[in-house]
Amino acid sequence: MRVGDALLDLARAGGARSLFVVGTGKNVGKTVVVRAVAERAVARGLALGITSLGHDGESADALDAQAKPRLRLAPGTLVATARNVLPRHPASEILDLSDLQTAAGTLLYARVRRPADYELVGPPTASGIRSAVARLFEFGCEQTIVDGAIDRVAALAGGEDAIVVATGASGAASQAEAVETVAALVRRLSLPRYDPSQPFVRVEGALTAALAARFTESAERHQIVVGDPTQIAIAGKAFDRVADRLALRCERPLRVVAATVAPIGREGYFEPRGFARAVAEATGLPTFDVFAAAMVAA
Amino acid sequence: MRFSRLADAPTARALQLEWLQRALEPASEYGRRAFAELSPLRRGEEGAAAARSSRVAELARRLDGSRVEGLRATLRGMPDALQAIAGAAIGGVLTDAEFVEIQRLLDGASRMESLLGDAGDLLPALDDGLRSLGGALECGRTRTGGFYLADDFDRGLSAARARAAEAQREYDAVRERLVLRVAATLGREDLPGDEFVVMRDDLRGPLSAQIRVVREAPTYFLCELELDAATVEALCARDAAAEDVASAEEAVRARLSELVRARARELEVLAGSIGAIDVVVAQVRFAQRYACVAAEIAEEPVVAFQEARFLPLAAELEREGRSYEPISVDLHDVAVLTGPNMGGKSIALRTCGFIATLAAFGIPVPAARARVGLFEEIAWLGIGGEREAGGLLSSFAEEVVRLRDILARSAPRMLVLADEFARTTTPHEGKALVIALVGALRARRRTALLATHLAGIAEATGARHFAVRGMRGVPAAPPRGDLQAALALLAASMDYSIEELAEGGERPADAIALARLLGLDDDLIAAARSALER
Repeated sequence: MRVGDALLDLARAGGARSLFVVGTGKNVGKTVVVRAVAERAVARGLALGITSLGHDGESADALDAQAKPRLRLAPGTLVATARNVLPRHPASEILDLSDLQTAAGTLLYARVRRPADYELVGPPTASGIRSAVARLFEFGCEQTIVDGAIDRVAALAGGEDAIVVATGASGAASQAEAVETVAALVRRLSLPRYDPSQPFVRVEGALTAALAARFTESAERHQIVVGDPTQIAIAGKAFDRVADRLALRCERPLRVVAATVAPIGREGYFEPRGFARAVAEATGLPTFDVFAAAMVAA
Repeated sequence: MRFSRLADAPTARALQLEWLQRALEPASEYGRRAFAELSPLRRGEEGAAAARSSRVAELARRLDGSRVEGLRATLRGMPDALQAIAGAAIGGVLTDAEFVEIQRLLDGASRMESLLGDAGDLLPALDDGLRSLGGALECGRTRTGGFYLADDFDRGLSAARARAAEAQREYDAVRERLVLRVAATLGREDLPGDEFVVMRDDLRGPLSAQIRVVREAPTYFLCELELDAATVEALCARDAAAEDVASAEEAVRARLSELVRARARELEVLAGSIGAIDVVVAQVRFAQRYACVAAEIAEEPVVAFQEARFLPLAAELEREGRSYEPISVDLHDVAVLTGPNMGGKSIALRTCGFIATLAAFGIPVPAARARVGLFEEIAWLGIGGEREAGGLLSSFAEEVVRLRDILARSAPRMLVLADEFARTTTPHEGKALVIALVGALRARRRTALLATHLAGIAEATGARHFAVRGMRGVPAAPPRGDLQAALALLAASMDYSIEELAEGGERPADAIALARLLGLDDDLIAAARSALER
């Protein structure tokens, strides 16, 4: 099976034109997922645009200098990236320049003319990336992929967009911890929309642990409504405890369509099939191992 | 704009020069650079100030709004090419993004030429050298208006790319065959990527020689594809061809960069002209939007205007759907301004400073007519220019220290605007201080307007006395607590115009009527009236 095809199908089945790939941490296979989806989108003849909320496709990790997977893009793909990281060779077609600032200079829009490894450095703000994605669509893209950071993706993605959550062995002390982390993240991102016909309490800004404690102490029965799921500043088991006691809801729900696993990390590895199965069971999502080209249904 | 050369920070705050800065903001980086360099004109440069102002006013008449907005849109779409030009000038090889910047500079200049039409003398015509540079870059223009180092630039580049494409196809085919062969040994259709996992349970025999194990775990191998000799050979050929493409592309860039280098001086001049036009276009837009006129620039230190508006307040009132009453003032000496609370005394002072600032920069002023001299400095004393709260000085002490500072300044021509100086001390001593201030300003030959509630200053000093006409009648008070209704009634009944009073003339302050209108307790109002009569 081709993981890229399967992810693309899941995203587009709901009509999503933008696919956001977010990770539970560093080195959890986001670039591999983006590359897999991009390859298949191009193979299907879709006009594809890619950008990043941070830095993606670099040849080596900025922290430990270890080699990272490259993002080799096919001709026709559009990128929104910083001008200072655009490969000099082979030349790309420059579509437009912008004033949007990134960590590596201003953002430009380019079309890949010949296969090459690209680095993506996108605008760091939600408004900046929103504008970049809108511009990619103006250039005729039918599908965009955004390599994103969780905290900014929610401010950006709408219910019509699709989110893939990547997790892996990197940064996790044990498989159980990795599974717990991704499951809590998916539950948080999958917060349902509130029912305006029922009583609710609107939380301005973030729902913090302290604020949640006040609601649980007063046995609040009404819906607790935040703007979007990332405005809940409680993670892991603490989130689960709060979610069990309060009717947490949001105004702008997100659509998480799949999880991916990278069972081999820098510091250790998990048994691939067991890890994928555990993630699928804990998240309720179709889960893919991009290295093994395998899927576990939820 | 270098406002600081004309007005210090408290004065700039009082005159809301930040608002003015925003209202005159150019659209392009070239314009912003020129705008930052804009300095006020000094005594002796009256001709230049008048010429600048007249030119802007003339363009405001000749260019209609849509052409102005077209010019602004063109300017906004012009990225800053100066760094690219400088890079080429010192022999650097430019990037493709930099060629886009230069191409857009030339495109923008052409578009501006046609938009300016009969006002085209503002922009020097593109000479043959720049046109030929534009022609050389034209090969790179894509269907969508972008730029690509196209094959048409160089036959060598075209040939190198053809070879590279062939080498890439060859490598892809050889590698694909290898991948399929290796995948078949694993019982798979394909391999997922450069790295892949092989489960021990899935193995039917030993791993293929073309599989390199990167890491071994109890249940699986993490593997990479081991390229065979044919694939390595195809890879080497592909990389060599890619190197050739890189060299050919770099050669084209070097040749184009050399063309830019040869025209660097003309490009810099063009960028400078575009910056200057951007500044003028912003001023034209300002003049059109706010119905400004070119002031007559006088040789003497005068601020005289009819039907003038203090635009920051006018804009705020417009947003609230309220009207603005323009005022007329003729100030050429040290004069006193009195009038009721909320009658617009402070705004009259601000209008003087605002009009004088615009005239100093050669920008049309928001008035029906104006005659203004060039001042080296404008100084504000009083409400509106204060620093942030805090500090050891009382408001009176702070005011005195500021006055000491203003009086010590040596600018030959200064416009001083004093808003209720000494209002925080006793009326008796306050009046004495204001009388002394009139004398001190006269001795220093300043042009000044002093707004005050203290009576008898003009009479005591022989200064000209301006007064806000004030309330036309006392309206019925609105329901208590409805501040917005009270303010609307007040605005409707207030005559904000300014008249010059004959010697000894005074106008009522209307303070008690205002207090009633603003909802103060009836008993308190009655007591105040009784006290006033006594």
